[in-house]
Amino acid sequence: MSYSSKRKIASIIVGVIVAIIYIIYALGGHSPALEDLKSWAIAILIFIGIGVGAVIVIQVIFHLVFAIGIAVKEREHDDKKVNRIIKSSMIEDEREKAISLKSAHVGYICAGIGFVIALVTLAFGMTSVAALHILFGTFAAGSLLEGIVSVYYYEKGV
Amino acid sequence: MGKKLIITNNIRKLRFFANEMTQLELAEKAGASRQTIVALEAGKYTPSLEMAFRIADVFGVSIGEVFECKKEGE
Repeated sequence: MSYSSKRKIASIIVGVIVAIIYIIYALGGHSPALEDLKSWAIAILIFIGIGVGAVIVIQVIFHLVFAIGIAVKEREHDDKKVNRIIKSSMIEDEREKAISLKSAHVGYICAGIGFVIALVTLAFGMTSVAALHILFGTFAAGSLLEGIVSVYYYEKGV
Repeated sequence: MGKKLIITNNIRKLRFFANEMTQLELAEKAGASRQTIVALEAGKYTPSLEMAFRIADVFGVSIGEVFECKKEGE
């Protein structure tokens, strides 16, 4: 499995963990009242911040672990070669960009469907908090789906 | 719509004849990542025309000597 695939999988795992924590929070006793849109919006903003922060931290840790792994695996070679291998693994070339575009497309479709469903729920008289959660949920699902599709393209080809 | 084109390449063979050039060396010379060269050799990726020319240039051959194209079913 390539560096890019492993990096994406690490991000997916972090995303799933943050989503699970949010679900536990939302269903738990400490969550805001069902009509309190402002409090829910603040809670979602906080969780987005936590998610972004967690992904950045895990990427930094992953990068370090990957570099150490390469250095150990290629210990018979000099530092220069190890640096070349690490550098070459992290280049964002045309294949990487093509995979990003294709997987982002899937993510946008998921988020777009979520937006329409949220509008429909509002049109049918459901609360704005429900619409907000549908939006948040489908955006999160789109982001996870994007990661899964990326891994698929990295491994199966594009 | 016409038949699907199947694009194959001789990169592994060309690397062998280029003094057993490593995938890493080819990747650096062609401006790609090593994973892209691995994917190319495994037939999991078809490069852009620009990348194809760059790879051919690394080996000093024409693009037709690196990549071959067949129609599906032929």
